[in-house]
Amino acid sequence: MAPTPPTDAELNILITARLAALGIDLEQLPPGTTADPETGSPGRDTVLASLRSFVRGTVTALAAYQLPTPEAGDPETAKALSQQRVPLLYPSISTEWRKA
Amino acid sequence: MSVEPVDRTIDRRAFLARTAALAAVSAAGVTVALPGVASATGRRSPKPGASLDQPNAYTRPRPEALADPTELTIAEAGWLIRAGKLTPERLVEAYLARISAYDGTYQAFNLVLAEAAVAAARAAARRPRRGVLHGIPLAIKDNYFTEGVRTTANSLLFQDFVPPHDATAVARLKANGGIVLGKTQMGPLATTRATTPAGVVTTVNAWTPTNRNTDPGGSSTGTATAVAGRMATSGIGTQTGGSITAPSNAQNLTGLKPTMGRVSAAGIIPLSYTRDHAGPLARDAKDAAIMLTAMAGEDPADPRTQGLPDVPDLIDAATPVYHRNRVKLRWNTRIGVLPGFASGTSATALARQEYLARLAGIPGVTLVDVPLPEDWSQLTGGTFNAIRLPERSEPFMPYLRTDLRGFGVSVISWLQGALMGGNEFITGQRAKLLLMERVLDQIFDVCDVVVQTDPVPFDILGLPEIAFPIGVNTTGVPIGTILGGLPYGEDRLLSVVAAYQAVTDWHLRRPADPPVAAARARAADAPRLTAEEVAELTQ
Repeated sequence: MAPTPPTDAELNILITARLAALGIDLEQLPPGTTADPETGSPGRDTVLASLRSFVRGTVTALAAYQLPTPEAGDPETAKALSQQRVPLLYPSISTEWRKA
Repeated sequence: MSVEPVDRTIDRRAFLARTAALAAVSAAGVTVALPGVASATGRRSPKPGASLDQPNAYTRPRPEALADPTELTIAEAGWLIRAGKLTPERLVEAYLARISAYDGTYQAFNLVLAEAAVAAARAAARRPRRGVLHGIPLAIKDNYFTEGVRTTANSLLFQDFVPPHDATAVARLKANGGIVLGKTQMGPLATTRATTPAGVVTTVNAWTPTNRNTDPGGSSTGTATAVAGRMATSGIGTQTGGSITAPSNAQNLTGLKPTMGRVSAAGIIPLSYTRDHAGPLARDAKDAAIMLTAMAGEDPADPRTQGLPDVPDLIDAATPVYHRNRVKLRWNTRIGVLPGFASGTSATALARQEYLARLAGIPGVTLVDVPLPEDWSQLTGGTFNAIRLPERSEPFMPYLRTDLRGFGVSVISWLQGALMGGNEFITGQRAKLLLMERVLDQIFDVCDVVVQTDPVPFDILGLPEIAFPIGVNTTGVPIGTILGGLPYGEDRLLSVVAAYQAVTDWHLRRPADPPVAAARARAADAPRLTAEEVAELTQ
């Protein structure tokens, strides 16, 4: 059974905890939704709202994506942990780097 | 006739066989010998920088350009300098005069190096000529390191940063005789059109200098405005998501985003390391070829530049060829046309229809309808485009921990990057190979270059793109288009655009000078981007 989608409050905890684990404190930003007029920095609530949307939309969609089975591959063994395409940071360069 | 371009010298079957083998090896965790990717011709081309003094690098100036040195292309100015009819100092002084008169309106430059440029021009006059770039004033985007000169990336984070050395690309331009005229305005940290770090719009489109709402293209905005507004002969920018092609299209320039690795990114303040491409924004294909020839090639400081095909003769490629006084393509080329590219009755659609018709009339061109590859919108859309975001957050962690406000209006996408997990990032990298396979198999199986309606897909893949003008809209703002090519196929792209520019004159058109009174008086009315808008628009 799919887990219950997180609430705004749960996502706020996730986001602030994740960033805090990296050493990033959103308290550096202005409170509320008003941007700092000098730097343009958005308010914390504005940022949290945007980041919640990012997690719900982009991160969730990427996490759910299942790559198609490579040509001539067996779908049963083509799921995660098996015969997926390799991750390539530089697809154009790799056409040359794979010459050797 | 010259040799074949390099884009078709990579053996496709060997490439795919090796890709499949790599996938199997990766999953199995074993090591095996893999087939190499064969070169179809074995051709190795001239070493980088060796051809900047060749005859085709120089062009006899047009009569209308003789009256005003700021109108000259690199090839034309180089011709005059070589002939002793123009000095680098006079050329620099002419640009400084225009900057003094008009940059209050354009706001293209962050910093003008007037004294240093004049000194460099005088020194150039005393030195042996180094080729066509000798004594040519250039505009440098402010995310390229410049030795001893403040380099800000238009960010509060780097407002006091003075690099100890030049970026490799800048050093190569200077070594070939180029003169750094100044550092140009850009989207903060290379994200959007040029604004202040707080989001207030600064640089205008040189074609509508009194209207800040006209998009000048970003993020290499200042370089584009400087070159279009005749405040520099040529310039350089960077592209992560259209930042060379968009301002080039917006301001009637020929911009070339090379294949990833063709130009070193060493000494460039990063945005997304797998997608940051360095390249020129120029006045025509020949100038773009000259600039790229100077910038390109291996660099010990950037491993991505190593083990690649040698830089071909781009200047020859950008030189039109004629048969019985009629322009023909240097190499027969199949140009792929994506569905809907020229459909409709908008000014852009009509310009595209006329563009395709002109192309079709050039001997050697074959237009080919090509499909959008399977899952194109998904694999190139916003979700998969977002996998670049951890690349910007990771190197900026020290700043994210201590100075979030220093990111100004741009901070959200850096925080998004920090939130994305490793799983999602790796899935995105796998999808790149899937996308590459489909682009090769479903587009480039039937064509050699392909029209683009959005620069992002080829930015994701690191494939080359060239932007150039094909018309104007009803308000006189330029309309441009983009062609994309195979890996390291810059020579073929340049050859097509050179032929098109030999039969059209869009690239020769220049914007009118702005009214001087338009200067900064209206700065208080400047539009401002919000952080949410920047998060949507960011490159």
